[in-house]
Amino acid sequence: MLIEARDVSVFRSSYTVLDNVSLDVAADDFITLIGPNGAGKSMLLKTLLKLNRADKGSVTHTPDLKIGYVPEKIAFDRTMPMQVGRFLRLHNKISDDDLAALCAETGASHLLARPVADLSGGELQRVLLTRALIGNPHILMLDEPAQNLDVNGQLQFYKLLEDIYADREIAILMVSHDLHLVMSSTRKVVCLYRHICCSGTPESVAKDPEFISIFGDEMARLMAVYPHSHTHDHTHDHARKPDNS
Amino acid sequence: MHMHLHLGDMNITSALIAGLALSLAVGPLGCFVVWRRMAYFGDGLSHSALLGVAMGLVFGISDQLGMVLIGILFALSLMWLRAQRLLATDTLLGLLAHATLAFGILAMTFLGADEIDVHDYLLGSLESISSTLAIWVIGGSAACVLVLMRLWPSLVLMTTSEELAHAEGVPVARYEFILMMMMGLIVAVSVQIVGILLITSLLIIPASTSRLFSNSPETMGFGAAIAAALCILTGVPLAGAAELPAGPTIVSLSVCLFILTLIVAISRRTFSRRKISQ
Repeated sequence: MLIEARDVSVFRSSYTVLDNVSLDVAADDFITLIGPNGAGKSMLLKTLLKLNRADKGSVTHTPDLKIGYVPEKIAFDRTMPMQVGRFLRLHNKISDDDLAALCAETGASHLLARPVADLSGGELQRVLLTRALIGNPHILMLDEPAQNLDVNGQLQFYKLLEDIYADREIAILMVSHDLHLVMSSTRKVVCLYRHICCSGTPESVAKDPEFISIFGDEMARLMAVYPHSHTHDHTHDHARKPDNS
Repeated sequence: MHMHLHLGDMNITSALIAGLALSLAVGPLGCFVVWRRMAYFGDGLSHSALLGVAMGLVFGISDQLGMVLIGILFALSLMWLRAQRLLATDTLLGLLAHATLAFGILAMTFLGADEIDVHDYLLGSLESISSTLAIWVIGGSAACVLVLMRLWPSLVLMTTSEELAHAEGVPVARYEFILMMMMGLIVAVSVQIVGILLITSLLIIPASTSRLFSNSPETMGFGAAIAAALCILTGVPLAGAAELPAGPTIVSLSVCLFILTLIVAISRRTFSRRKISQ
């Protein structure tokens, strides 16, 4: 396991943000964390990242775990002159060749000389994803990465994420509202509402009564419209369980 | 050229060396003031300077040490009050700034300082430049430059995104405090020359001027140092020769430089747009 969370609770003043959450992330996992607003999704991600300390329970990282983190958004101020290339290298050590190869993979090569403040939402997310991949992390952790993108941008972003997952030995843990869009790539859905309501394959979660009671029939039907399919070729070395759906 | 400089007991060469050292510090530090919107914090901090001077008199320590200590107290009080989440930061800053200024003036009066002394602190005076002060200026500036160089990537990253910096292991809260301390130190060493009322502009105007021509944080920091040096190194002799108050002279020069740069930047932009559209 890359990350093991055991009975994690987080309290803020008078209420409970996370209530006894246990979650394991394995080296080949692709987990999407869903839940209504205020369910504690971002808090769980930050707690798993150890940016936030659990008030109860424990979060254990495997030794030398390297995490690539893509925050929800960055408020880039125009008063800071910064080109994408400089931003990628900031606080990072990477050779020119490695950076060029990485940017080719994420489709950020044409952005390198652009000021970060001028990027569109989709371009900025691409750059943040590129930055998170520097140093070949074991796991990517993304906090609603596509929330400010239009539908086309969301599709492109999730396609890119899927390709990265297929081409690298990497785990992905993502908070997302766009469940119907990530259905085809995610292997496991964890539905959070302070505690873990249900988890499993997207199909099984969509049928779960607790899921339906939180998200309503509409979301469950929407999920059923986008079936779980794996037509693309996974070149992972490590074994994946065959899909029974 | 003969100039009648009233520079205390110091010669013009060491005054200019001190000015150069100060420029190298206020340039890049001022960039963080601009990027992180700390201008009002700088203002508040400088308002506390008089209280620092009064404290120095009471405890028999140097003015600068008194100001540094009061500056630390100021930053700690602000951080503590902010953590209580009861009032907005600008309200807290206004409260602290004017409280320290009012107490500072009262304390100075009580300690027998006449109006001239207070006036000198508010507007800056070249006569206060002594060799002791020059050592403070050079030492304080060198300390700031060293810390800035060492922490630069982390400081820039946490200014870009606190979350990313935190995730990459930057101790954000500690470094923010270090930034405040550096501002406190710069205020303490330069307030007697530039004056309480104008000292923040020494940080923000060179940085703003440099912003107009920079495409990276590094060039902006370097350009700000050059802009500050131009203004300080011409402003100090000019103020001395023409018997003008030092602070307003330096600040007026830096404003002129800013306006000049702005005109060039805007006309360059208009010109290159026209070229693209043709």
